[in-house]
Amino acid sequence: MRAYALRRLALLIPTLLGISLLAFALANLTPGDPAETYLRRVLDRQPTPAQVVETREELGLDRPFVVQYLDWVGHAVRGELGVSYSTRRPVVEEIGRRIPFTLELAVPAALLALAIAIPVGVISAVYRNRLPDQVVRVCSLAGASVPSFWLALLLISLFAVRFSLVPVAGRQGPASVVLPIFALALTPAAVLARFTRSTMLETLGEDYVRTARAKGLPGWRVVGRHALRNSLIPVVTAFGTSLGHLLVGAVVIESIFIWPGLGKLAIDAILQRDYPMIQALVLYSGVVFVAINLLIDLSYTLLDPRIRLGGPGEGSS
Amino acid sequence: MTGFIRRFGFLVLVLGLALLGPGCGGNNTSTSSAASQELNVGFTEDQYVLEGPDAGLGMYPLNANIFETLTYLTPDYEVKPLLAERWEFRAPNTWRFFLRKGVKFQNGKPLNAQAVKEGLFDRVAKTEGGGTIEAGPDSAKVVDEYTIDFTPTGENLRVPEQLVHPSNGVVAPGSDIGEKPVGTGPFRFVDYLPKERIVVERNPDYWGEKAKLDRITFRFYPDANSRRLALEAGEIDFAYEVPRQDVESLKDKGLKIMNSPVGAYEAMYANIHGEPPHGLLQDVLVRKAVAYGIDREALVQEVLDGLATTDQTFVPPSSLEPYASLVKGFTYDPEKAKSLLEEAGWTPGADGVREKNGRPLKLTLVSGFPSAEAHRPIPTFVQSQLKEIGIEVEIVERPDSASYQALIDSGQGDLYLEQGSQNDANPGFLPVLLFYTGGTGASAPYQSLFAPGPEFDRLIAPSLTAVDTDKVRKSVAEAMHYAIDEQAVIIPLAGIYRIYGMKDSVEGFEPHPSSLNVRWNGVSLSG
Repeated sequence: MRAYALRRLALLIPTLLGISLLAFALANLTPGDPAETYLRRVLDRQPTPAQVVETREELGLDRPFVVQYLDWVGHAVRGELGVSYSTRRPVVEEIGRRIPFTLELAVPAALLALAIAIPVGVISAVYRNRLPDQVVRVCSLAGASVPSFWLALLLISLFAVRFSLVPVAGRQGPASVVLPIFALALTPAAVLARFTRSTMLETLGEDYVRTARAKGLPGWRVVGRHALRNSLIPVVTAFGTSLGHLLVGAVVIESIFIWPGLGKLAIDAILQRDYPMIQALVLYSGVVFVAINLLIDLSYTLLDPRIRLGGPGEGSS
Repeated sequence: MTGFIRRFGFLVLVLGLALLGPGCGGNNTSTSSAASQELNVGFTEDQYVLEGPDAGLGMYPLNANIFETLTYLTPDYEVKPLLAERWEFRAPNTWRFFLRKGVKFQNGKPLNAQAVKEGLFDRVAKTEGGGTIEAGPDSAKVVDEYTIDFTPTGENLRVPEQLVHPSNGVVAPGSDIGEKPVGTGPFRFVDYLPKERIVVERNPDYWGEKAKLDRITFRFYPDANSRRLALEAGEIDFAYEVPRQDVESLKDKGLKIMNSPVGAYEAMYANIHGEPPHGLLQDVLVRKAVAYGIDREALVQEVLDGLATTDQTFVPPSSLEPYASLVKGFTYDPEKAKSLLEEAGWTPGADGVREKNGRPLKLTLVSGFPSAEAHRPIPTFVQSQLKEIGIEVEIVERPDSASYQALIDSGQGDLYLEQGSQNDANPGFLPVLLFYTGGTGASAPYQSLFAPGPEFDRLIAPSLTAVDTDKVRKSVAEAMHYAIDEQAVIIPLAGIYRIYGMKDSVEGFEPHPSSLNVRWNGVSLSG
C-alpha cells in the first residue's frame, strides 16, 4: 500500500505539469492584457501605450509564451510561484493567508453535509416509497437544484435581516460562519443523500442482507452493520469530489458572504488577468484533488477488507 | 411511522439542534451606536495595491481620509486649496506650490516642502509614466521650507486639477504605505484586514476642522446585494454605490438616500474608422440617426429608475460651466432618424431592417466597460429603440474591462458602450485621452477607432496649453459640441450620479460625484 501511495504521489508531477501548461495556455488565450488591466486599475484611467509597454516589460509579458512558461516552471520547482500582478505580493503568501478562511467554511460544511446525508439517505432507503422517503426525495431534489446564490440571499434575508440572529456577511465572530456553512453544505448534502439512498437500496436487496434478516438479526443491526458499510464506497467517492470542490473555494458563497477565501481570490485573479495567481491556484486545486483521490482510494481498504491496493490488478476486487 | 420516529427521532433532533444552535447563539452584530460616534461604512471591492510604487493602502480606490492632496475637488468640480494654500504657474512648464504651515503628519513630523517632494512627487515619479501629473525623478525642487516647484516631464498645464486625485496624496516620508499608512488627514490608520475591512480613527492633531466621528470601519462588500442587506440589517450605517433598483425599498425601510451631482456618464462611441464589416458608421448620417433614434427620457425613467439625468455633455456639465450649454445633444426624433437613413441610402427591407445594395443595416454594440453588468439593461433598450428606425443591433457583452479592451484593440464593433467617471477637475482629461491625436499621452487603440480628426484636435488643443481654467472649459465644451452635435462620434445616453444610502442618524454627509473624493470630517451620528 505504501508503494502504491508513493507511486500515486509521483504521478502528481506529470499531472501538475499538464494542468499548469493547460492553465497557462488558457490564461494567455483569454482576451485582455494583464498589464493594461493592472494599469487601468491603479491609474483610474486608460493607460498610454508607453505605460503598457513599460508594464509588460516589468511583468515579463513581452517574452514569447514558451519562454514565459518555462521560466515559470523553473521557478515553481524551487517553490517560487511568482508575485501577483494585482497586489504585487508573493502568490504563495496570499494563498497561504486565504487557505484557513476557506477551511473555516469547507471542513464544517463537508462534515455537516455528511452528517445530514448519510442518516437521511439511510432512512429514505429503509422507508422506501413511504412518507419519510418521499419527504427526503423531494427535499434532496430541491436541495440539489436550488442555486447557491439564491439560497444564500434567502438565508441572509431571513436569519440576518429579519431575525437578526447572525451577521449579514463578513467575518464577525463565530456566528458569522453559520449561514455560509449551511449554504455551502446544502448542495453536497442533497447529492450525497441521493447517493446514499440509491446504494443502500441496492445493498438492501443483496442476498447476504436477506440472509442476515432471515437469521433474525435486529433491523438496525442489519442496516447499520451489514448494509451501510457495504454501501459506503460510492458515497465516499462522491464525498471526495464534494470535499475537493469545497476546499478549492466557493466563488459565489464567498462573494456573497464577503469571505476572503480561495474562491474569491480565484475569481479576482481571473478578472484581473493575474496569471501567476491563476497558475498557483490551479496547482493548488490539482494537489487537493489528487490528494483527496488518493485518500479515498486508501479508505476503500478500510471499508472493504477484500480490496487490496498495490497488489496484482491494483484495484478493487 | 411510529417506528420511524422511535428509531430516528433522536438523531433528527440532534441534527436540528446542531443546525439551529450556532444561529441562536450568534450575537447580533449591529454594533453601531449613534452616541459612540463610530460609523460602519460598506464600500465595494477591496482593490488596494500593497507593494511597489503603486501601493496605496487607505488612499485609493477607497479614500479613508488618512491622506490629503495639495488641492481638493469640490462636488462642483472646482479646485480648492488643501495642503497647498495657493499655487502659480511659472512658464514654460513649472508649477510653484505654497504649502500650508503648521500641518503635521500623524507621526508628529512636520509637513514641509521636502516631505511633499519625497511623499508625493518623488513617490508618484516611480509609478508607470509618473502618474497623470507626469512626474519624473527630477521634477520636484524644494524652493524653501514651505515652497516647492514641480516641473512635469512633458508639457502639462493641468497639474493643480490632476492633483486632486487621491492617488496624489502626500505620504509621510519613511512610512510604509502598504503596512501602516501615515498622512496628514483627519483620520489616522488603525487596522486593515485585506478583503475585509480598514479601520481609521479621529486624528486629534488634525490641522483643520477635526473629525466629529471617533472611528470609521470601512467594510468591503463587493456584492451589491450583500451591501444592501447589511444596511437594512443595521450592520452598516452607510453604503456606497446603492443599486438604483434598491433605492425605493430602502427608503420604505426608513433609510436615507443621497444623490450626488452628475459625475459619470453612459455613452456610446462610434467606430468611425472601422474596416468592413464594421465600417457602416463612417457615414455621419447613420451616426446621427442612431443618436436621434434613442429616447433618453424613457431610458432614464424606465430603465434607470428615474435615478439619472438626460445630460449629454459627456463630461459632467458642472465641470464645463459656464460653457456646458454649447453642447446641445440630441432630442428623441425617430422621424428625423428615419429620414437621415433614407438620405444615406438605407431603405426599409422586407423584415423591417434597412438595406443598401442588398446589405442589411446591422450594427454591433459592444458593452463591457467597466463591466457588462454595470450597463444592463441599457444595451437591450438601445437595441429595441434602433429596431424602430430599421437598424438591427447585435449586442456583444464582455464581462470585464480586460476582455472589452480586446474588442477595442481588434476594432470588431460599431458602437462601444462605456460608463466613465470624472475623478479630477480637468474636464479635458477623458476627451484628450480617448479622442485627441495630437499628443503622445493618448490611448492609441481608442484613437484608431474613434478619433474625430483635425478639427476636434484644433478645438481641444487650447485645453492643453491654457493655464486659465475658464479657457480650458471653453475649449473642451467646443470640442464636445463638435464630437457630439456635429459628428456624433460620441453618442451620450445619460448622466450618472452616485447614490449613497445611510441611516437617518448619519448627518453632515456631502454626496460627492467622485466617490474617491468623499470627505468624512464633517460627518457625525445624531443621538
